[in-house]
Amino acid sequence: MNTAATALCVSAAVGALSAALALVVPRSLRPGIAGGGTAVVGVAAVIAGVAALAGQTFSVTWESVLPLSGVSFALDPLGGLFLAVTGAVAVAAGIYSVGYTRGTLDGRVVQAALPLFVVAMLLVPSAAGVGSFLLCWELMALTSLLLVLAEHRRRPEVASAARWYAVMTHMGFVAILIGLLVFAAAAGGDSFTELRAHELSPALGGLVFVLTLTGFASKAGIVPLHAWLPRAHPEAPSHVSALMSASMVNLGVYGLVRVGFDLLGGGPAWWWLLVLALGALSAVYGILQAAMDADLKRLLGNSTSENMGLVLIGVGAAGLFASAGQLGLTGLALAAALLHVLNHAAFKTLLFLAAGSVLHATGTRDLDALGGLRTAMPATTVFFGVGALAASALPPGTAFVSEWLLLQALIHGLPTSGVATAIAMPLAVAAVALTAGLAVATFVKGFGVGFLARPRSDAAANASESPLSMQAAMGLAGVACVVLALLPAIVLPAIGAASTYGDPSASGAVTMQLTAVAGSLSPLLIALALVVGAVAVLGVLRMVVTHRVRRTARLWDCGAGPLSPRMEYTATSFAEPLQRVFDNVVRPETDIDISHYEETSYLVQAVEYRRRVPDRIERRLYGPVLAAARGWGEAGRRLATGSVHRYLGYGFYTLCAALVLLVIAW
Amino acid sequence: MRELWRKMRRTGRVAESAPPKPAAGRPAGAAELGGSVQLRHVNAGSCNGCEVEIASAFGPVYDAQRYGVRLEASPRHADALVVTGPVTHNMAEPLRRTHQAMPEPRLVVAVGDCARNCGVFAGAYGVAGAVADILPVDVEIAGCPPRPEDIVEGLRKLTGR
Repeated sequence: MNTAATALCVSAAVGALSAALALVVPRSLRPGIAGGGTAVVGVAAVIAGVAALAGQTFSVTWESVLPLSGVSFALDPLGGLFLAVTGAVAVAAGIYSVGYTRGTLDGRVVQAALPLFVVAMLLVPSAAGVGSFLLCWELMALTSLLLVLAEHRRRPEVASAARWYAVMTHMGFVAILIGLLVFAAAAGGDSFTELRAHELSPALGGLVFVLTLTGFASKAGIVPLHAWLPRAHPEAPSHVSALMSASMVNLGVYGLVRVGFDLLGGGPAWWWLLVLALGALSAVYGILQAAMDADLKRLLGNSTSENMGLVLIGVGAAGLFASAGQLGLTGLALAAALLHVLNHAAFKTLLFLAAGSVLHATGTRDLDALGGLRTAMPATTVFFGVGALAASALPPGTAFVSEWLLLQALIHGLPTSGVATAIAMPLAVAAVALTAGLAVATFVKGFGVGFLARPRSDAAANASESPLSMQAAMGLAGVACVVLALLPAIVLPAIGAASTYGDPSASGAVTMQLTAVAGSLSPLLIALALVVGAVAVLGVLRMVVTHRVRRTARLWDCGAGPLSPRMEYTATSFAEPLQRVFDNVVRPETDIDISHYEETSYLVQAVEYRRRVPDRIERRLYGPVLAAARGWGEAGRRLATGSVHRYLGYGFYTLCAALVLLVIAW
Repeated sequence: MRELWRKMRRTGRVAESAPPKPAAGRPAGAAELGGSVQLRHVNAGSCNGCEVEIASAFGPVYDAQRYGVRLEASPRHADALVVTGPVTHNMAEPLRRTHQAMPEPRLVVAVGDCARNCGVFAGAYGVAGAVADILPVDVEIAGCPPRPEDIVEGLRKLTGR
């Protein structure tokens, strides 16, 4: 057994052991054991993933474990990358959960499910057969469902969110199940090696691709299959939100790349145009919803939808280039997508952990009730600030690097052949650019309204900094963000190895030089230039100002008296201009109720104003389906009245009918 | 839009020709402002008569702006404070704060009889005093309400144009 296999076995064993221990130990020890176990699982997974990326691959099959298909695992660089990302997120989430769950979320099931969830997520990219893949996929869905349900006794919304999640994740599972089983039946074998060797007919290949794409897109929160994501991610405990948002959704991308590129071996251009279109739609719609949200964690959930959309744009572009035979550009686009997976994992972990820290301290996720956390929670504020910068695709940030790579791939893809490409590429570039701009507005809102200014509620005013373990976990994710932002060149060889189309960069440690196209970028130099520029501006100001007499004056408050927090910008008012610009897309709903005094209709007693920004796609698409399902239920209820006589009658007539049928048929 | 252009062309210039420059009464410190004076207006308890005349002074007919004065939206940007009305108890503190919020050098213009000596409101229970009781006044403009020409003349003492 090589390092990769050993580390993976260790991580699975530690996960199972800590889950079992969490079931039996007393309440006070559970967070330490489950959280610590999860962190160890994560470390082992990172080791396994890095080993796999370095070229250590392995493959094992146990025929007897699962009837009919057996269980088989293998690790290659692509799987290794996702293994390492998941492991790294699990380290931060595990450490964080020790402080976060103590005293509030230390039930047996919740604690035991955490390491199991991580192990299931680790096994998905290691699975090497249809049976084992589906098994791990379902295990991942079930354990995450248990974790989403953790707080169902406290808030009724949790149960509804979990219901949405359960139904949609299983619909997706069914789509993947059918797709892969059709594939396996045609290939005459279960293992990925056999599938890889088999050439499907175009029609069957298209069917398999569309079915699996449906399932994987629903896992990745891609519009229009995203409805569960902004529900389940905010309602889950924050370390679980981080795990789901930063690693579980990635596995949708993994599945797509594995099935589309690896097992089906690329495909016609329309497959990838579909992926590209879904990605672009999801990126723009996701960030638009996030820009409107006043709920901090819902905002982050919608931003996950957006980032997965960006990744899918990269994957779709890669497939498109591959179908046109442009292997250099394929490598570049796929590398951009995979780098964005990595970057998104880093900053989304950080942001969800920081949002959890806010929730832990104030008990609210409503941005309109937060504010002023800068003084009470300095560490969390710094971490959220780093995360917000990383997420907003501005130069010294993490997302900037991968979005720059993605734009390079898309722009240089313009001259490639085909009308479809010539139309799709500029649209994709526009979608990425619009997304980047809206992301800046969204995260300025999240950080500015949530952390700066004055507290808008007593809860925010009385907040205190989170325990040390939570700060340590946020620190880990923060360091990852900074390193990825300043020195992306150190992970690019690994990304190149995973994308199987070669390394896109001839990199020094500081400057990225793209090999497929002419383009180079040095994030470290940009950051240095920004720092030097800021220092220079401050220095010049100092020199100019010191010659003048300075006078301290009262803050200008219109002379009327103290400013109150009610006068501050809220998240809703900050988003209002954007909402007005995108009025036709988001269709906000406003109600104004004016009630008058009984004595006269000329005097107003109260004015009530309500504004909601409903998810329009969800309403249009899911509303009819839900209504139809309810209609079926209502129709069925007429048959089932609750009368025992009627049920006995049904049984009797069915039996008679079956007997008659048998008599006639035989 | 075309209607607007046509109207502008047809109406032409309505501003009255500039009267001669006020000979005396330029307050100390006004020269430092270099002929361009930004004003912040505070209504300290006026009946709005003076406001109407100030609006008229800055309208197209008297066009005070051609002499280098401008009304500002914030005391932070202002060089001179234009105060109207007798200073009521409620407005005394805001008036002081507005004055403090202005950068130095700063001037105060009392517009109207009420601002100069409380006018008909002298001795009323709600009045804290004339503007001069609260702030150092540099220029006074008499009248109840003062005519726009007088306001323009008073403001020209600030700019010296």
